[in-house]
Amino acid sequence: MIEVKDLVRQFKSGDRTIKPVNGVSFELEKGTLASIVGKSGSGKSTLLSLLGALDKPTSGDVVVDGVSLAGLPASKLTEYRRRDIGFVFQQFNLIPNLSAVDNVMLPMEFAGMRKAARLERARSLLEQVQLDPEKQSRRVNKLSGGEQQRVAIARALANEPKLILADEPTGNLDEQTGEHIIELLSSLSRDHNTTILVVTHDRSLAQKTERRFRLQQGKLSEETVRPRVGAGA
Amino acid sequence: MSVLARSVGNAFRNKIRTAAVVAVLAVAIGLALAMLVANQAVVGKVQELNASVGTVLTVNPAGAQGFDGGGEPLTTAQTATAAAVPNVVSVVGMKALRLQTETAASSSTTGTTTQQAGPGGGPGGGTSVVTNLQAAIDAGTLGNRNNTSGSTGTGSTGTTGTGNAGTAPAFSLPITATGIGAEVDTAGKALNITSGTGLGDYTVASTKALIGTTLAEKNSLKAGSTFTIAGTTFTVAGIFDAGTTFGNNAVYTTLAEAQALAATPGELSSMVVTVNSMENVDAAKTALQAALGSGKADVTQGQRNLQTAVSSLDSVKNISLVAFIAALGTAGLIILLIMVMLVRERRREIGVLKAIGARNRTIGVQFVLEALVLVALGSVVGAAIASFASGGIASALISSNSTTAATNQRGPGGGGFGGGLGGGGPFGGASQLLTSVTASASPGVIAAGVVAVFGVAVVGALVPALLTARIRPIEVLRGE
Repeated sequence: MIEVKDLVRQFKSGDRTIKPVNGVSFELEKGTLASIVGKSGSGKSTLLSLLGALDKPTSGDVVVDGVSLAGLPASKLTEYRRRDIGFVFQQFNLIPNLSAVDNVMLPMEFAGMRKAARLERARSLLEQVQLDPEKQSRRVNKLSGGEQQRVAIARALANEPKLILADEPTGNLDEQTGEHIIELLSSLSRDHNTTILVVTHDRSLAQKTERRFRLQQGKLSEETVRPRVGAGA
Repeated sequence: MSVLARSVGNAFRNKIRTAAVVAVLAVAIGLALAMLVANQAVVGKVQELNASVGTVLTVNPAGAQGFDGGGEPLTTAQTATAAAVPNVVSVVGMKALRLQTETAASSSTTGTTTQQAGPGGGPGGGTSVVTNLQAAIDAGTLGNRNNTSGSTGTGSTGTTGTGNAGTAPAFSLPITATGIGAEVDTAGKALNITSGTGLGDYTVASTKALIGTTLAEKNSLKAGSTFTIAGTTFTVAGIFDAGTTFGNNAVYTTLAEAQALAATPGELSSMVVTVNSMENVDAAKTALQAALGSGKADVTQGQRNLQTAVSSLDSVKNISLVAFIAALGTAGLIILLIMVMLVRERRREIGVLKAIGARNRTIGVQFVLEALVLVALGSVVGAAIASFASGGIASALISSNSTTAATNQRGPGGGGFGGGLGGGGPFGGASQLLTSVTASASPGVIAAGVVAVFGVAVVGALVPALLTARIRPIEVLRGE
């Protein structure tokens, strides 16, 4: 379970104080697919970076399965990112000179997994995200945008994280590929019982998630709760 | 994929840039290695000089120089006095003989004659005895001219009293024979025995002898062959190469044997005294002169000009060391700047690696290894450059310094660069010593240089590697 408690992040800009995240609180049950929508500059990415321990809040706390991130030293936050968090970025952010399978193996290498085990798992994950087997050994900069995003999702799943944070995962993809990606995230959330939080400005994409939040001027409000897309009966 | 494999892959991401970086590094590393090779060659030469001729003093009887002069001979007892002087590490007594060929002796009135004159240098107080050997040097113009002047004056061929300046007989050059107390030549330098063995114990009488290469060839002798001196049969124990025509027209016996041949037991023609270091030579010379007495012995430092040579080599050594350090520093700086550039260029990638859980240490090690891959490539090319260029660079450095040394030595009045014993003898030219330094890129020196280069590269790569720790992964998302 992810608990966000009165989270605040403020910056100084000259004489002004900006609060892109201003008292945000919510909870997400394990295995939930949720989305946060909002305009550009509304603080979506800032909120995501706080949840992923890439940035520290001015106040408030994030509690993951009962463990508070506030006050954890940098080394523990790195461990938290490695073990509990998976990131999916709009620009994919893969390592361009590595193959798809090598990219997926990276987080497992950082976690100390043996080479044979991580190779096997990487190939399995790439199959799950439906990347053609012959493309698994290809350099990622030779793959299409949709294929790269599939590799990025496989990489996010590498260490079986508790929470996947996806920042505009379909922003660089055409509509049809974007649909495939969100369906993939939905099925992975269901199959792996992984909590996925998608930040997007695309309302149609957000409508396919179970819980939908809106971030406006640093304040978060929940719009609706609906059954999971493709959840079936 | 391991960190090392990833580092190697990263090093070749941009092949053109990698080639350019390796080329620049290779020049710096090659220069550093060449300077190290030159430095080591000069250090070796300086040590060799300091260990031999540069620290040698020669003691002659007071008033005697070569085969000229007079006075009282030195004695074996004086070697103990000399050995007690501070900083003296060894004293070798010498007894010089001049071997007359049988042809020359037949025109002489006696078989054994004390000699007083004779150009060409060599320890004073020589005694002539007859040998069946033939001299390896033809008299030529110089020999005949010297013989003529000698026969009218001091009787170099033993014709005093019976010589006729107008009808001098066919002249044959004498052969230098020296009794030695240790396996060194008359300049105190270790004998280079090219075949056979040494004489063993040089302090006891023995009918074994060492013979110069050209003298051996002239007389068709080899190790084990025999010849006679004053009717005594000697066996050739070994053949030596003195490096000069004059030096190879010589015979060495044990000191005791030479004294017995001359019938002057306990008498020395000269002593070769070795001082522990060049810095102590002047003090030792003064102390030695005082200990032996100025009326009994003349102490000379024949190779004083070698000090200039060694001093010149020292400056080459210092220049090459400074250049080595500078080139090494340049290589380190190149690595530093390249890696800083790469870290700046890959900030986003570093942020991503951190976002997915890489430790700062892991990323730092990756960048250090990447730098070392570039350095390894640069070292391979640099070592090849050094192996070809080190000889030329060393020669250029040495010739530049020997020119300076020569200019300084000549002074405003000009004069020769040669000097030392015998004026142009085997150690007469400091310039010869300078140019005899050969810089060869030995694997050991190259390996030591490469280790130093890697050490500097690690330091150079650590700074940018530490910079990666300051990159915050949030910057990746901000850039989205």
